[in-house]
Amino acid sequence: MTDTVKQNVEAHVEARGFSVYYGSQEAVKKVDLAIPSCQVTAIIGPSGCGKSTFLRAINRMNDLITGCHTQGELFFDGQNVYSGDVDTAVVRRRIGMVFQKPNPFPKSIYDNVAYGPRLHGSYSRRQLDAIVEESLVDAALWDEVKDRLEKNALGLSGGQAQRLCLARALAVKPEMLLMDEPTSALDPKATARIEELIVQLRGRYTIAIVTHNMQQAARVSDMTAFFYEGNLVEFDATKDLFTRPREKRTEDYITGRFG
Amino acid sequence: MHMRTRRFLDRAFTSAACLAVGLMVLFLLFVLGPIFVKGAGAYVFMGTVEHRRMMLDQFDRGNEERVTAEWLDVQQARRPVYEALSAFEKELPGLPAARRKELKPAFKAVREGVAELLGPEPGEPLPALTRKMYGQTRWTKAQEKLKEIRFEESWDYSAGAGRKVLTSRQPLFDGTALAPLFPLLERDARKLLRPRLTFYPRFLTDVSIDAHFFGGIGPEVLGTMYLALGAMLIAVPLGIIAAIYFQEYAKEGPVMTFLRSCVNTLAGVPSIVFGLFGLAFFINTMHVSSGKSVLAGALTLALLVLPTVIRSSEEAIAAVPRAYKEGAMALGAGPWRTILTVILPAALPGILTGIVISMGRAAGETAPIIFTAAVSVGKMIGPTEIASQPTPALSWNLYNLCTEHEAVNEIRHVQFGMAATLVVIVLALNLVAILIRARVARRLKG
Amino acid sequence: MKGSEHLILSAAEKLQRKILGLLGRSLLFAVTSVAALSVLAILFFIARDAWPFFRDKGVAAFFFSTAWYPAHQPPEFGAAAIFVGSLLVTLTAVALAVPPGVLAAICMSDILPFSVRQVLKPVVEMLAAIPSVVYGFFALTVLAPFLQDSGKWLPGGFEISSGVNALNASVILGVMALPTIVSVSEDALQAAGRELREGSYALGATRAETLVKVVLPAAVSGVFSAVLLGIMRAMGETMVVWMASGNAAQIPKPWYNLLQPVRTLTATIAGDMGEADQMTGSAHYHVLFAMGLSLLVISFLCNLAGEWIVTRQRKRLRGG
Ligand SMILES: Nc1ncnc2c1ncn2[C@@H]1O[C@H](COP(=O)(O)OP(=O)(O)O)[C@@H](O)[C@H]1O
Ligand SMILES: [Mg+2]
Repeated sequence: MTDTVKQNVEAHVEARGFSVYYGSQEAVKKVDLAIPSCQVTAIIGPSGCGKSTFLRAINRMNDLITGCHTQGELFFDGQNVYSGDVDTAVVRRRIGMVFQKPNPFPKSIYDNVAYGPRLHGSYSRRQLDAIVEESLVDAALWDEVKDRLEKNALGLSGGQAQRLCLARALAVKPEMLLMDEPTSALDPKATARIEELIVQLRGRYTIAIVTHNMQQAARVSDMTAFFYEGNLVEFDATKDLFTRPREKRTEDYITGRFG
Repeated sequence: MHMRTRRFLDRAFTSAACLAVGLMVLFLLFVLGPIFVKGAGAYVFMGTVEHRRMMLDQFDRGNEERVTAEWLDVQQARRPVYEALSAFEKELPGLPAARRKELKPAFKAVREGVAELLGPEPGEPLPALTRKMYGQTRWTKAQEKLKEIRFEESWDYSAGAGRKVLTSRQPLFDGTALAPLFPLLERDARKLLRPRLTFYPRFLTDVSIDAHFFGGIGPEVLGTMYLALGAMLIAVPLGIIAAIYFQEYAKEGPVMTFLRSCVNTLAGVPSIVFGLFGLAFFINTMHVSSGKSVLAGALTLALLVLPTVIRSSEEAIAAVPRAYKEGAMALGAGPWRTILTVILPAALPGILTGIVISMGRAAGETAPIIFTAAVSVGKMIGPTEIASQPTPALSWNLYNLCTEHEAVNEIRHVQFGMAATLVVIVLALNLVAILIRARVARRLKG
Repeated sequence: MKGSEHLILSAAEKLQRKILGLLGRSLLFAVTSVAALSVLAILFFIARDAWPFFRDKGVAAFFFSTAWYPAHQPPEFGAAAIFVGSLLVTLTAVALAVPPGVLAAICMSDILPFSVRQVLKPVVEMLAAIPSVVYGFFALTVLAPFLQDSGKWLPGGFEISSGVNALNASVILGVMALPTIVSVSEDALQAAGRELREGSYALGATRAETLVKVVLPAAVSGVFSAVLLGIMRAMGETMVVWMASGNAAQIPKPWYNLLQPVRTLTATIAGDMGEADQMTGSAHYHVLFAMGLSLLVISFLCNLAGEWIVTRQRKRLRGG
């Protein structure tokens, strides 16, 4: 499944000598990585190796953390996200994000999905209705919630809430989706649904997903990046990385010798 | 130590601790009990015909025909009383000098007592003070007056400490024309006054008549509402903005540490000092009004509740999960949008709780408004007079009515009614706060 | 909306955002400063109006003379008796409130089941919420006659000349300080943690032993701040003492005779301002501000002491 796409890869995100620091601690170390367009890229590695840090650097979510700063370049769609004149609001609009723990706002389901569109433009109620429906359908949640759009989103189950967060991210029509261990707080059934969704969304969006679960990476991704202690150790087609890792540390990790 | 002693000590300690809690509950009941029970008496009581007459005259309320008819009946019933009085008055000059000297002051007391009980005698010119135009409007008060007519009160100091002694006046007048008066008053008191269960909910909103002898506490309630709402109107925006700044913008450093301790210190300033400040600053320096005014009082109270508003808002904002903020940011919301559309709505119940409690505090405070806003007698003021007029308020007027009023004992029911009303307002606001909190707790649970 | 909005801001946009952001921030900072610094304004204006008194009459007589004759010619403003009165009712109130307060806190944090505690919390809140003038009214109309009568029942036919006296005010102030003491101590006791208690129980200690020998010492700084807050509340209270303390500017004889009337700083300010010339200022007006300033300084000191206790405790925890 990966081979066909591989020929016309065009890097959607490209890191060049990219480092992230928390104060003086270097959490991501001079990483060079090109995430291909419209494919699913998995980021794996032991806990604390900088996966989340790298992922959050892509849409500049680390700006919220005091003392966090970067070095090197990170291009999105050919533009350096860390150049001084970048509008972070636009970066984040074009790069959606789904978090580890579902975090719907304490508002109605409808308002959750409509939050992003309302932020970035003015729509008539009809247009908004259409966007909300379309996003919920894409997130495979529409059938479950169409009769209770006005209910508070906090009443949803964990899996539903996570799909709502996905719908919320899709509603602003991003080009790319970042997912930070989106299923680690969910039960196996809900996890399977999210994985299905990722496969469905592949091809329309560039997806980067951090995961702890090697099977998950193998199931959903085209490319896999293995991080270790802040370094990018290996980056390859998923198929290759899991069957013939080039690096010893990768092999140790995927065979479960540590992690 | 022996195990038995240890166990005994343990039990003793536990009981002492539980006793302390019991004591606290008891205090609460002991304070609130009398206030609620007697305070209810301002709203529900046995009202006499005098009450109905007064309501008709002063407030134009009640069925005019019925009250007039009743009044005619009552006058009929009262005729023997007045006949006895005038017969005795004619008899008095003819009595022996010694007897006359003995009876004259007693007769004066009885006659004055009757005037207090039943109002001015028929045919007498109408008194100037409204309080003298009617007899006793409340049956409990009337019974006290009856007792004062029938018995003479004196103090016996023979046993060291003074002791109250009551002696009946009836034997004194035996054989005179006044003698029939006493059994008449004792037996027919109900016919003379016609007590009837009366509901007076408009005590809450009526103006007072003749320094609270009649009528309600409307101006005080209105004044308290102006002051409390005004204070919140000023304190809430200031407090929420400060809380947002402290929680979302401030970088920790010496400046922030200093500002924070300023807020803590403000919370400890005695309330009377706020009053002094209001007088020295808002009135004497800023001249927000030429003298006391609702505005000056509200400004002073706003300062008083500001630390509470800031702290509770801060706590509520801090309790908003970081994930909400990240979720909004990840959708491209700027810091302002995030605060306005996600953080504040999520923190709203907590902020509201703080606001409602502060409002109760502002409504109940007295010391800050003594020099800045409160007057003892005043009418209801309109919204346009807020910046220029002082106002009566429940808290201040409660103090005033039970210490400085010219007839403290005559208007106990108004004092208790005022105290109960104030307590109900404040506790109701606290109850609202508790309910909001419970709702939030439930929503967070599931 | 789909498609490539440009990531890069134009120079004008960038400038505009920078200015707006700065403006918003400064506005927030300004409002916050006004709110926080108002306490300095209070200090300044109280001191400004107190200053003429100290300038003209000096400091010594104010603090050390008991001659309080503001209406005499010439007036005398010796406030020593008033300071003593404030101190007396405050300390008595706290002495009365601390033992039951701390015991109640222990009971609520360690003895009663959770459900009962949930019911008691509102009781504490209600005690705290009742307006002070209502407490004063209660003191005047219910407690005072009761106290006056109670002399008869005491052995020896004790005569209490008036029910409004230092004791009455102290009792009510104690009740008012109780909720503060209870809730702050309870928080401190809870913060002591479960491990501590379990450690003690595991050694076979009874509940009382655990609480007295292990938990209370661990929570002692919290209890201290509770007591300090109680002192501040009692010291700054106006209406109750004004209505219930009798307002006689004298030092009781002997000084601990709580059945005599006393007068406090707060009640003097509240009661005398009506007679003082509020608009142009007279010596009487300024002496009341001198009292306000004294109260303010005392409350600042209590606050400092409280913060000192908290920081010391934090340091100790970090060190140990
Ligand atoms: N907010 C933060 N402040 C300081 N250090 C952090 C912060 N977040 C993460 N780190 C550090 O950065 C390193 C990488 O963390 P993270 O990216 O969260 O790892 P992963 O997601 O791979 O488990 C870790 O050593 C972690 O301790
Ligand atoms: Mg992570």
